[in-house]
Amino acid sequence: MKGFIKKAAAMLASAALIMSAVMIPSGCEARNDDGTVRLRWVTYSTAVPADLKEVIAAANAYSAEKIGVTVDLEVQPSEMLNLIMASGEYYDMIYTCEWLNKYDTNAAKGLYYDITDLVKTETPALYETIGDYWESAELGGRLYGVPTLKDMGTEMMYRLNSDYFEGKKGMEIPEFMSFADIEPFLAAYKADYPHKYPLAMDKSGMPGMTNFLERVIGTFIFIPYDCEKPQVMPLWECEELLDRYRLLHKWYTLGYIEPDASAVESTTSNKDIPVRLGVAWRGYQGYSNPETWGFNVKTSIYDGPYISRATEQGAMTAVCAACTEEKAKAALKYIELLNTDRKFRDILAYGIESKHFDYLENGSVLRTKTGNDRYTMALYQTGSVVNASVESVSRTFPADPDQWRKVYEGYKEYGIRSRTDGFVYDQKRKEDIIAALTAIYSNYATDLRTGTSDPDEVIPKMKAEMEHAGINELLHDIQECLDAHLASSAEAEY
Amino acid sequence: MAKKSHGSLSRMSRKENIQLTLMTIPTVIWYALFCYLPLFGIFFAFKDFTPVPGESLFENLFVNSPWVGLRNFSYLFRNPQYMDVLFNTLFYNIIFLVAGIVIPVTLAVLLAEVHQKKFTGVVQMALVLPYFISWVVVGYCIYGLLATDVGQINGLLKMFGADPVQWYQSPEYWRGILISLGIWKTSGYTMVIYLCSVNAIDRSLYEAAALDGANFFQRVRHVTLPHLRTTIATLFILGVGSILNSDFGLFYQVPLDSGALQSVTQTLDVYVYKSLMLQANFSFSSAAAFLQSGVGCILLVIANLITRKIDRDSALV
Repeated sequence: MKGFIKKAAAMLASAALIMSAVMIPSGCEARNDDGTVRLRWVTYSTAVPADLKEVIAAANAYSAEKIGVTVDLEVQPSEMLNLIMASGEYYDMIYTCEWLNKYDTNAAKGLYYDITDLVKTETPALYETIGDYWESAELGGRLYGVPTLKDMGTEMMYRLNSDYFEGKKGMEIPEFMSFADIEPFLAAYKADYPHKYPLAMDKSGMPGMTNFLERVIGTFIFIPYDCEKPQVMPLWECEELLDRYRLLHKWYTLGYIEPDASAVESTTSNKDIPVRLGVAWRGYQGYSNPETWGFNVKTSIYDGPYISRATEQGAMTAVCAACTEEKAKAALKYIELLNTDRKFRDILAYGIESKHFDYLENGSVLRTKTGNDRYTMALYQTGSVVNASVESVSRTFPADPDQWRKVYEGYKEYGIRSRTDGFVYDQKRKEDIIAALTAIYSNYATDLRTGTSDPDEVIPKMKAEMEHAGINELLHDIQECLDAHLASSAEAEY
Repeated sequence: MAKKSHGSLSRMSRKENIQLTLMTIPTVIWYALFCYLPLFGIFFAFKDFTPVPGESLFENLFVNSPWVGLRNFSYLFRNPQYMDVLFNTLFYNIIFLVAGIVIPVTLAVLLAEVHQKKFTGVVQMALVLPYFISWVVVGYCIYGLLATDVGQINGLLKMFGADPVQWYQSPEYWRGILISLGIWKTSGYTMVIYLCSVNAIDRSLYEAAALDGANFFQRVRHVTLPHLRTTIATLFILGVGSILNSDFGLFYQVPLDSGALQSVTQTLDVYVYKSLMLQANFSFSSAAAFLQSGVGCILLVIANLITRKIDRDSALV
């Protein structure tokens, strides 16, 4: 009797679990009661805005009327996105890009819907809007995702407290400077406040510091932008990067960087810090809101704009390969609306008009206090940035509503373009080496990028360990793939 | 025992038996769901898991994913530090295994001697409480103590004229810190288990011993410890079973993943986490988990065999 009950209970329980595992994929309701199509859209964000539901409801009311499609927008951190993909979970639209939930890898695996024909026949306006940038989504001549039009290159900048540096110290903040040029500013602040640390630094390092190199594996194998023939190299061969690490270590020893920087999670709550870093584009005002910081901020660009397949894939939306054609069409229609209808785009971008934001006279947008507190998603997370209204940070200094045209022209004029012709390395080829290298690198990375450790001391150690783990085999394989890729794309051009 | 009395089961006791069986159902279900059902996950360790979205997990695992033999294990041994990683894992676990017996047993024996109920209650509470504090919280409290320029300990050091220490850059202190924290967090909880066993010992034995002139130490040596033998053996054998597992929170969250401390904080779990940060690779992580449970299972059986040789009653099976 006892055994029987045990067995029966165990079998029942396992049967229930197996059933649920099998049922999940078909569990999503495809249509709402009123006949509009409902899509599960998973996008990336580390925080869920408080008013998300309300904003989605407003957006759904608009899109249901215009194109008969509504969304369940789900906001997930990067681990969850990776997990959704790795476990084969069902969704309709998903955030994908070069730096998480990797577009090229997943598209090559056949995880995304092939939209090549559908996008031309069903959503010609979308096809036209994206224009030349479709190239960044092309894989073997097919399209598996829609690039989000945003800043397509990366520009790295210092963000300085201009009240202090210009107002009090009489220093001049130039529009452009080099990475090292920030030193006198740091020194000036340190002299005034010997117990404070002028350079914002947390365990993830300075945002975008390695963006002047094209990343291949993590931030330890790169292809430099400026070499004549693209050459794969580990970080210890990138002289400029080493110089930056040396400089950081110098700043660390001089007390410009907090001694526990490698253990600090975030410095955003410390409003005293006069020098921060950012990755944005020329004319971006988001860093300059005096209400956020308590002082005026001026930016000074030190790198960029660098443009490569990776930077052009900064944000994209893909449709699940398991979608029905009806759903894929609905998803594309939705993306089209985000790219062509500014009023609709502004809802997901900024929230509800007059509650979360107001329009200024020149057509730009000013967030209200409620908006700043309760609905702040980064624009790229919810769709086209270019089609959204430009954000101003105050009524007195409205942003240039024509900003994007200038930014895009700028890319053509002075953008530094990658010579790798959209090369992507298939990490599946040497997955075990990459895993071992990742673990080794992570032992040194935090201390290197925060300036805590002396690069001339630790990099030789790291190099020896990485060589033992097989980095040379990996580098060789990447170089071979790169050469083959370049040869075949050169052939295709003729 | 159940087998012996099977033939003479009276109506009453059979009814009781069914009731008792029913009581075990939640536990049985729990084990079936969380310990037996996930066993099929072992297949992940030998397959290159490539799911197709929209298809069921079973189809993805058994049909869509090819067999790859032992390839998923290789990343574990590519790192030249893997010996250090194994050493750390074993080093901490052996210490925790020993300290996890000595300290809670001592505490339980001492606490059992205290006859003031209120005081015992307060002490017990204070000892068990750390078990319920998350490592993340502990990590930040420790940071408050050890931070280089705002930490309390460096504040004290400076007050007495000593040089402040960069704790998060000084691995030499961390073995001690981690061991103390591990003991601080778990020993109260284990103590409760031993305390129950101590309290279950027949009081008249102590009275008889006292009458025969046994002092406190003799009573502990000849009455308490022999009675705790089975409990100690059980917890020891179970502890051996998880010798390759480590408390991820303790070794990753508490040192705040500081690079300089890797040589003393990197255990197998931390290493696996770090290797797979760039990839969400189920197969690789299952391989590591399989290794941990495989070694644990073998050691558990060996420990049990040895225990049975020494003392039949204390062995698990």
